[in-house]
Amino acid sequence: MPEQAPGVRIDGLTVVYKTAAGELPAVRDISLTLEPGTITGIVGESGSGKSTLALSLLNAVQPPGRIAAGSVEIDGLGDVVGLRGEELRKARGRHVGYVFQAAQNSLNPLKTVGKQLLDLGRSHGVEDLRGLVREAKELLGRMGLDGARVLDSHQHELSGGMRQRVGIMLALVLNAHLVVLDEPTTALDMITQANILKIVREVHAERGLTTLVITHDIGVVAEVADRLAVMYGGRLVEQGPTREVLGAPSHPYTRGLIKAIPRLVGDIDEAQALPGRPPTLTSVPDQGCVFRDRCPLRMDVCDTVDPAAVPLGSRIVACHAVNVKEHA
Amino acid sequence: MSATLIPEAASATGTIRRNFWRGVWRVMKRKPSRMAGVIICAGFAFMGVFGPMFYPGNLPGDANQITQPPSWAHWFGTDPQGRDVLALVITGSRYVLLCAAVTAVITVVVGTSLGLFSGFKRGRWDTVLMRITDMKLTIPGLPLLLVLATVWKFGSPIQMGLVLGLLGWGGVARAVRAQTLSLRERGFIEAARGLGLSTRHIVSRELLPSMAPYIAMNMLISVTGAVYAQVGLFFLGVLPYESDNWGVMLNLAVFQAGAMIQPNALGYLMAPLLAILLLTLGIVLVVDAMDEIFNPRLREE
Amino acid sequence: MITGQGIVKTFKQRGNILGSREVRALRGVDFAIPKGGAASFIGESGCGKTTLGRIIAGLESYDEGELVIGDTAMSELKHKQRQPHFRKIQLIHQDPYSALNPTRTIHQTLHAPLSLRAKQTGRSKKWIEERAAEVLSLVGLDAGTVLARYPHQLSGGMRQRVVIARALTVDPEMLVADEAVSMIDVSLRLGILALLKDLRERLGVSVLFITHDVATARYIGGDGELYVIYRGQVVERGPVDTVIADPVHPYTQSLLSAIPVLHGLEQPGEQPVVPLEPLDQLLDDTGCLFTGRCPFRGERCAGERPLLQVTEGVPQEHACFYPERRSVIARPLSEV
Repeated sequence: MPEQAPGVRIDGLTVVYKTAAGELPAVRDISLTLEPGTITGIVGESGSGKSTLALSLLNAVQPPGRIAAGSVEIDGLGDVVGLRGEELRKARGRHVGYVFQAAQNSLNPLKTVGKQLLDLGRSHGVEDLRGLVREAKELLGRMGLDGARVLDSHQHELSGGMRQRVGIMLALVLNAHLVVLDEPTTALDMITQANILKIVREVHAERGLTTLVITHDIGVVAEVADRLAVMYGGRLVEQGPTREVLGAPSHPYTRGLIKAIPRLVGDIDEAQALPGRPPTLTSVPDQGCVFRDRCPLRMDVCDTVDPAAVPLGSRIVACHAVNVKEHA
Repeated sequence: MSATLIPEAASATGTIRRNFWRGVWRVMKRKPSRMAGVIICAGFAFMGVFGPMFYPGNLPGDANQITQPPSWAHWFGTDPQGRDVLALVITGSRYVLLCAAVTAVITVVVGTSLGLFSGFKRGRWDTVLMRITDMKLTIPGLPLLLVLATVWKFGSPIQMGLVLGLLGWGGVARAVRAQTLSLRERGFIEAARGLGLSTRHIVSRELLPSMAPYIAMNMLISVTGAVYAQVGLFFLGVLPYESDNWGVMLNLAVFQAGAMIQPNALGYLMAPLLAILLLTLGIVLVVDAMDEIFNPRLREE
Repeated sequence: MITGQGIVKTFKQRGNILGSREVRALRGVDFAIPKGGAASFIGESGCGKTTLGRIIAGLESYDEGELVIGDTAMSELKHKQRQPHFRKIQLIHQDPYSALNPTRTIHQTLHAPLSLRAKQTGRSKKWIEERAAEVLSLVGLDAGTVLARYPHQLSGGMRQRVVIARALTVDPEMLVADEAVSMIDVSLRLGILALLKDLRERLGVSVLFITHDVATARYIGGDGELYVIYRGQVVERGPVDTVIADPVHPYTQSLLSAIPVLHGLEQPGEQPVVPLEPLDQLLDDTGCLFTGRCPFRGERCAGERPLLQVTEGVPQEHACFYPERRSVIARPLSEV
């Protein structure tokens, strides 16, 4: 069991879904490195492939989807794409903790949280169940909840923010050091969201984790993440240190997204809507740049050639126009 | 722009209807089993409507051909009076199917309207109607039918269907009410009320189509239910003897021709059973398509 | 002009045999939304803002108080007589997926309210079709491509536009947008917000925007009033920019402090306010409703409930015994 934060190297990952129109890529040729001990945020709209990418980290893509190419190397675990059956089940929870969307109720409504905790412990062969409960109470207490009370509660007795904290506890209680949070604050209120994000940051630092946050909300990533990766139509279009990307976005999509956020101060009309709409699995063009239909920098080459992800200082950007400008 | 648009939109209702049937065709073609179901059901409908016309009112019996096993001349053999079993099944189908159709219509019409009314009005009406429904649901059907049969002879299939229908709407009413209660909270019903649309519009145009697959399924399933119920009654022999009714045939095959021990009478027993089985199968196969037919998303895909 | 005075709404929750529990959704709310103007209600979920929006749109009853639409007080009218007044106020639902009937085409959806209007005013069939195309073009959709479609064939953003178009069929005076963009893809959200803003300017429709996101409220109703609602009470009310820049109620300050900071573009506020306790439905009902969570509570707070008032030196109305300006919101780096 790794006691330090593991690094993750995703290389050339492609995940396809079987549809009536053949196998379509939901995630196409993505390479991304999660440095040990960092928080990485993946931002994308619905259909961008961000959740599929997160599931790939656990090799948990469900049919009709499958990982068609690439590898996901996790320190201390190897390439998870090759893992099968029992090995894989053990890895989930032990090595990789997964926190499901707040909006979806990922807790069993018929069992108390404590019962579900014990189930989790037994299925992972934990011998010291008392120790597990103690650990869970400690974690919950750390997140500002009354551990004993929460463990005795059913899902419906907990508020959205409390459920989310329970989710984080369940992801961490088996001592996983790689944590994936899928839309951790969707459907939560502003104040609750701020609380959860604070907890994510603190727990991350205290326990020495490698954290991946998946969200549609740039604000969430801006609050917690060291690095930011932007997904669009199954491609990773830009990645780099959060502050740099937010301060000076390179890819036209990132730029458009940031520009479309209404702000609290300044000229109201500075916020500009992005034209067009995001592609779905079936409407992603099979050649050329996925963003070209909505792009202000569109060139002829964008119609035919899918831009490669090119390092640009501390960043990696997949855009013809940006690359041309840099090399001119 | 508007010049080209108006004629197109004016005929929009017609287009939608045409698209609907095209969609139904597409849904049916998706699985061969559905086509088989449609063919079976259509075959039975044809049999019920036109079948008896091919035979004389009193089927001739051949005294030399009593209780014969299946042969080329008599596909399912003959009955103890020497009549062709297949002919008996066909002439008997009209009563069975007409009764089943009446039952299905009454079940669905009464059940749906009570359920809709109850769920949409809520309040006192709802409470009263649902108590009545509960009471109705607690009445055991078969014993009641047996009692009724002693006083009423169910001479015509319509009478029989009426009784079966009036006994069967409880479940549909409950289910439709539950659906109505959940649908009325949906945004589009609320929006319709906010726009000032009439209750009639809301119920018939907004609510009913959303429940259509459900109602259609219930209708088809109550057809099979009605067939079982009446055949069962005739089999038990509590209703007047009609030689070409499927239920009576089963009764005679078992108790008169001794089909359980007499291999020659097997065809006599099997023919009505096969008819019931085939009809059920046809309906089950068609029911499978209902969800896709009435849900535009599944229909158009 | 639509005004409300002292609107009270109490929900009865089914309890045990010992009796039911009452949930005070609204505790005497006043508001005024001028014709063609804008107002925003902000607050956490469960604060009563949605209930208030539904009351204003005539979809929910209220227990006490008075709602005045135009010059007509609703309490004097019978249920049937109120309907034409409430028709002028159209609610835009949060969820564009359940707001459209999945079994009806966009043409059918728009046709129903339009043909009702045509019947009432003696207009022709042709008018219906023209008007349908017109409302669609008002919301930025092409009638030719949209009319024959079913809702599932449209994206979330387009659906929300259709919902707005449907509301426009009755020539409303006000749109009540309840979290109208929270279920729409981020890159499309601003487009919907811009549309609502545009409709205000072009058609003179007033917009009531209900949200937990202050920045979107500012985007649509920047020139209107902001109502901060907490547990059924308006705790701060004033011009949007005043409340955002100089909030005085600790609850408003907590809400604003909770907005994520875009590091790299913005610098966090100097005095962020974090409530002491998370929101719990079983909070005490005596004294100031925010006492239990307030980091700045004083002696008066536990025993007495502050009412919305104007005090010296504070431009906006507030319900706090100890109002104090705090700099809580993030500022753009370019301004610092």
